[in-house]
Amino acid sequence: MDFYLGLAQVIGVHTLLGLSAWCVLHTGQVSLAQGGFFAIGAYAAGMLTTMAGWPLLLALPVAALAAAAVAVAVGFPALRVKGLMLVVATMAFAEIVRLVFFNFKWRVEGPNGPVGPDAGLGFGGIRYFQTHGWTAWDVLALIWCLVALVMLALWALDRSRIGTLWRAVGEDEVAAQSAGIALTAAKVSAFGIGGAIAGLAGGLFSHTTTHIEHGNFTILLATFAIAYPILGGLKSLAGTVVAVIFIQGVLVEGLRFLGDWRSLLFGALILLVMLVRPSGVLTAPLWKRGTARSPVKRPRAVEGETRHA
Amino acid sequence: MLELDNISRYFGGVKAVDGLSLRVQRGEILGLIGPNGSGKSTTVNLIAGLYAPTKGTLRFEGRDIAALPPHRRAELGIARTFQNIRLFSQLTVWQNVWAARVVRETGWAGFRKRWLAGAGAARDEAEQLLEFSGLAAKRDHLAGNLAFGEQRRLELARAAASGAPLLLLDEPAAGMNSEEIDELDQRIRALRDQGRTIVLIEHHMELVMGVCDRVAVLNFGRKIAEGTPAAVQDDPEVRAAYLGSDEGDDMMAAALAA
Repeated sequence: MDFYLGLAQVIGVHTLLGLSAWCVLHTGQVSLAQGGFFAIGAYAAGMLTTMAGWPLLLALPVAALAAAAVAVAVGFPALRVKGLMLVVATMAFAEIVRLVFFNFKWRVEGPNGPVGPDAGLGFGGIRYFQTHGWTAWDVLALIWCLVALVMLALWALDRSRIGTLWRAVGEDEVAAQSAGIALTAAKVSAFGIGGAIAGLAGGLFSHTTTHIEHGNFTILLATFAIAYPILGGLKSLAGTVVAVIFIQGVLVEGLRFLGDWRSLLFGALILLVMLVRPSGVLTAPLWKRGTARSPVKRPRAVEGETRHA
Repeated sequence: MLELDNISRYFGGVKAVDGLSLRVQRGEILGLIGPNGSGKSTTVNLIAGLYAPTKGTLRFEGRDIAALPPHRRAELGIARTFQNIRLFSQLTVWQNVWAARVVRETGWAGFRKRWLAGAGAARDEAEQLLEFSGLAAKRDHLAGNLAFGEQRRLELARAAASGAPLLLLDEPAAGMNSEEIDELDQRIRALRDQGRTIVLIEHHMELVMGVCDRVAVLNFGRKIAEGTPAAVQDDPEVRAAYLGSDEGDDMMAAALAA
């Protein structure tokens, strides 16, 4: 039973991570920085509860805000570049964050000895749930309440004008600009909101595992983050949840006997989805072949190529 | 309202636009014609802000806009359509128009209007534009699924939705049949009657000569003639430019013969 409770917690945390990437993908940007924001949230929330003695429910929003602030600060310069260059830039950022935490040592005296991040040894003793008498069920309920809350907020956002503008930018940046949409504002806002959600997920992660270290926040985590919405499709939020359940429940846990070969399978799966259903597995009825394909891009005509009728 | 002063844009050694000066008067329909490759679309991209001019000054309502990004120019009042349709194809018809309409309300006042006071007037305006474009019945269709002519209409509606007083239409009749072109003719006039100023880049001579108040003719990035449609058609240099071009542009020949 404990195993399944733990798995359900992991799925909840990763759903939030996937939703953070969903925001950014909405504006057409592929970011590998989500793992970095997740790490910032994890360390910030952990430090606030262990070192400053804050209640968790206060530490979580503050950790989310911290991650959002970093996301906005990074987003302004990073989002000037596009496509592959953005992938490289965000990947570099995530590595920098990881290396900062690898070297980050700040220990203070707690009631049971020193607490705080201990550089390469990691940051242990984030035992807020245990010391405050939360059962595994309580934790699970908290995580999924937050998942529900975030999904509800994103659902509303997607239907609001902000969602329309984000999608417009994701569809065609040139047309969006010419229609008066400020690209930087749209992209940075998506980055900031995505950063906040990733930070929240990180805060929950550090408190459920009680020990975090730089190795938790490698490029694999960032790959997971964007794999969820890509697999689930951008049209529906539920797609992301289903994708997390599939990847974490079936691929990662169910195929544990395969060992590291799972990563290979995971890569192959992403490739397959990109080839067969580029707009996501769950975006359209599976039995209607080809309906989920994104429309073929019109060839760019050179000036004067089109003729009169 | 718009002044191009000695504007040039070079791509490497190619002078796409070369020392072009042009005035657009408020409330007029200005035609911009010329053989293929004469720099018409480059001119539109320069005005809309997708290219920066290599040389020259560009003023809109007396303000130098040469350094402004496209979305700032749209805010100031320059909207456009594209020669190759560029819709938000995975968005609905309504969302395409709405996206362009809603960004007009910026800043704190816009935020208040948007979230606190509702957006009744903006919605009505966007609805009217859909009605105007004959797309009201298809408001919930994905833009990418529309027929070609409908996509052109939607692009025009989106440009109009931005509220810009100056509309740049880059070959709006391309690929349309004569019935659709008649409709387009009426829509362009209707937009002008609403007080918009229109720059029409077009190959379809019948449309240009019928609807435009003034016509400017480009060739090799330079303006070779400017004046009323009738005057331009009689201009020997214009005839030479069209009849001498490789394409033989038969529609010009037809228009000249008419």
